[in-house]
Amino acid sequence: MGRLERGYAEGDPVGPLVKEITQEAINLFEGSAGQSGPSQFTDEAAARETLGTSGTVASGRMSVSFALELLRRHFGSQVFNHTGTVDLRFIRPVRPGDTITFTGEVTGTSREANGLKVSVKIEAQNQRGDVTGVGSGSAVVPNAYLPQEE
Amino acid sequence: MTETDNRIPLDWDALEVGETFEKFEYTLTQRMIDEYRRGVMDPEAAFPTISHKVDVRQYNARYTDSGSVNARCAFHCYNSPVPGKKLTVTAWIADKYLRRGKNYIVTEAVSVDEDGRLIDRVITHELKQPSEVGKKWGG
Repeated sequence: MGRLERGYAEGDPVGPLVKEITQEAINLFEGSAGQSGPSQFTDEAAARETLGTSGTVASGRMSVSFALELLRRHFGSQVFNHTGTVDLRFIRPVRPGDTITFTGEVTGTSREANGLKVSVKIEAQNQRGDVTGVGSGSAVVPNAYLPQEE
Repeated sequence: MTETDNRIPLDWDALEVGETFEKFEYTLTQRMIDEYRRGVMDPEAAFPTISHKVDVRQYNARYTDSGSVNARCAFHCYNSPVPGKKLTVTAWIADKYLRRGKNYIVTEAVSVDEDGRLIDRVITHELKQPSEVGKKWGG
């Protein structure tokens, strides 16, 4: 995504971003770091033993990855990939077969030395409407990416 | 041949905030990036480093415990990693706390590439009684 020039205001919606979680996706995520052994993410028996769950769960870091995508799409990669943050708390498990919808809303802006800091609240819900994660994120948008003041 | 496990059983009370682990180095390959992007279904995903769990890797190399569940994770983006570049990770124990009778450990890590570019920072809160969440989640 290229350069976005836009203004930001409290209440601006962010997203949504929808992800369908499969065991294959979880396996790819775990395998991308060379983690090939059974774990609570990839193996039902390991999940039962470690977590006491009936099946595997997705790593919370997958949800962080999705939240990063949500905000990168909003701010643009040239801004977000250099100044972006995400901070998520994991409320309920994300399991294979779930459809997770990430949404956000701008909660405020503040002037920083290197641009405008835009703060966003983030929520993730599964297909039943249960909240799986909540948190916040931000990006510092350089003045060059903001509409010029009259 | 049997490998010897020289890891130390975790003593949460004795664990010191500020303990810094040995630096960890790895090279991020294009294949790792491609697999990560397929896993998160995002062809523009710029920080595949998150799947490497580098903040807890060195903790897990030093300590053995009954497992963990990620309760909270923060990620700061500075510069996208470049495939083929070696990354050096510095990780440490950033905090620990007791909440509702459960023990948490907070690890933090910063990654820098071989050209000195700051890549990212990750901070993770891990619950150290993972079987508790299975009960809470209803299996």
